[in-house]
Amino acid sequence: MMEEKLLFQEISKVYGDGNTQVTALDHVTFGVQAGEFVAVVGPSGSGKSTFLSIAGALLSPSSGSLFLNGQDLTGLSSKQMTQVRLNHIGFIFQTSNLVPYLTVWDQLMLIAKLAKVDKKQAGEKADQLLSRLGLEKRKHHYPEALSGGERQRVAIARAWMNDPEIILADEPTASLDSQRGRTVVEMLSEEVHARKKAAIMVTHDERMLDLCDRVVNIMDGRLIEKTATA
Amino acid sequence: MFLAVREMKHSKLRYLLIGFIMTLITCLVFIISGLASGLSSDNGSSIQNMNADYLVLESDVDTRLDRSVLSEEILDEIQDLNVDAVPLGQQMTSVTRDGMDQKMDVTFFATDADGFLVPSVVKGKGLDAGHPGHVLVDEKLKREEGLKIGDVLKDEISGEKLKVAGFTEGQTFSHTPVIYITNEKWEKIQQGFSKKGKAVVNAIAIQGGEDTVDKVESSLENVEVVSKEEALESIPSYQAEQTSLNMMIAFLFVIAAFVLAVFFYVITLQKTQQFGVLKALGAKTGYLAGNLIGQVILLSVISIGMGVGCTFGIQNLFPEGIPFTISNQMLVQYSLLLLAVAVLGSLLSLFRVVKVDAIEAIGRVE
Ligand SMILES: Nc1ncnc2c1ncn2[C@@H]1O[C@H](COP(=O)(O)OP(=O)(O)OP(=O)(O)O)[C@@H](O)[C@H]1O
Ligand SMILES: [Mg+2]
Repeated sequence: MMEEKLLFQEISKVYGDGNTQVTALDHVTFGVQAGEFVAVVGPSGSGKSTFLSIAGALLSPSSGSLFLNGQDLTGLSSKQMTQVRLNHIGFIFQTSNLVPYLTVWDQLMLIAKLAKVDKKQAGEKADQLLSRLGLEKRKHHYPEALSGGERQRVAIARAWMNDPEIILADEPTASLDSQRGRTVVEMLSEEVHARKKAAIMVTHDERMLDLCDRVVNIMDGRLIEKTATA
Repeated sequence: MFLAVREMKHSKLRYLLIGFIMTLITCLVFIISGLASGLSSDNGSSIQNMNADYLVLESDVDTRLDRSVLSEEILDEIQDLNVDAVPLGQQMTSVTRDGMDQKMDVTFFATDADGFLVPSVVKGKGLDAGHPGHVLVDEKLKREEGLKIGDVLKDEISGEKLKVAGFTEGQTFSHTPVIYITNEKWEKIQQGFSKKGKAVVNAIAIQGGEDTVDKVESSLENVEVVSKEEALESIPSYQAEQTSLNMMIAFLFVIAAFVLAVFFYVITLQKTQQFGVLKALGAKTGYLAGNLIGQVILLSVISIGMGVGCTFGIQNLFPEGIPFTISNQMLVQYSLLLLAVAVLGSLLSLFRVVKVDAIEAIGRVE
């Protein structure tokens, strides 16, 4: 049996109530293994962001249970969820969402600071991440001085800073041209495989799917597995 | 403070501007309160520094020293109660230096030459019952009019002559310097006013605590015992000066609170998305709130410090004679109050920070 990094069990999410009720996720069961890079595709409004928010402990499901690395996350308080995000989950957002007044270096050190990691240890880790992502020369730059691709790479480095079990990426290539986008996703994919971690990426971009191990399709809140187009 | 300091460094201009406004407000608060307390002592330092605890006045005169009239029998009655008491006669008038026409506005305080009301002498000699014509003069007359020991003054109303025996300091009443005179001289001056020939005093100064006050008030009729503060506030013009200045200070505090509240609120609104991202990355609300408050405190402490420095700088530019006093106690008190007001003003922003949801970070483009 392979190790399940993330497991959705019969998860549903219903927004609103009464006749404005929207079922964004409908009894979804889904698992990601260690070393697996999964792409999530689907039309607008199908529930992709909702899916990712639940996977990222940003949103509680209306029903069903969620396991991260074997730990049951159902019914945690919002404080406990913050702690889970800090220690076990890495995020890459649609726009890189770097903090505008922090240098590349400080973006990474902030995560270490929040997690109260030893400064020296964190520094070594940050150096290592930056050199792997080809950002050594950008260490002391502010986000405003970086290209879109460089920003997304910084976001990837930031996501790995807390050594998460799983990386969640919400359309990480949306603001990049396809060449840059591909490079960014390749880097993400390499990191996932090298570290034996897991990643879920929501994307609209069909050209990225060959880099993923598995593609799942969401339609009206229901999950349909596709075979990877490798 | 990791975020607070870096943000302030990165957006220097923004924080410099608001810091500058805070500095100016602080400076204005201290200048106005320095003037208020300066004017207060310029106005009534003789009462503030009076070596007595209470004044006995005639009742129904709005606690005004100049309107109160007491007979000498009342002094005897109070002294019979075993209370330390001396008479105080008060008269605003103008005097000229012998042989000159220049009039000077002064206030006579008449009391026992060896009583406890006579202030300490800084130069020359004090009052002496053996020399009833000798007077003790506030040094403001030396400073501003060049009066010297040995000069002879003439009271414009009664025509009585007074010889300057010594100088004292911190003795003004209604902005005029006080001249301490003996009871004997007082009687003569009074005869000039009323032909009755019977000496009256305006007040009786007593020393003692609350029990002494009760004793005097219960055994005498038609008198009122007031504290020095009450007597000070009833000096004509005192209330008007202080009230208007204090109102300005109160408004400055309100302005400071609002300026900071608006500034931080706008900045916080701009950063809503960013706070969402930080929370998604695992920053606790308490951490973000701490950074916000940290910024407010850092900014305020620096601005207030510069404001204090600026106040002392400006004080040196004031022309001589502008009453301006600032005590350390006042500095500390108002600085802390400004800091508290600043933190209070940031509560609105704090509320926003608490309300931001980490979910804002996902599925939104900006
Ligand atoms: N906070 C909310 N309140 C009510 N309904 C919501 C809320 N968030 C999402 N929905 C609804 O849930 C459904 C799924 O939304 P979701 O944002 O997950 O879609 P998506 O697949 O991410 O779409 P897109 O590709 O456009 O980003 C949509 O019908 C949406 O209108
Ligand atoms: Mg979406």
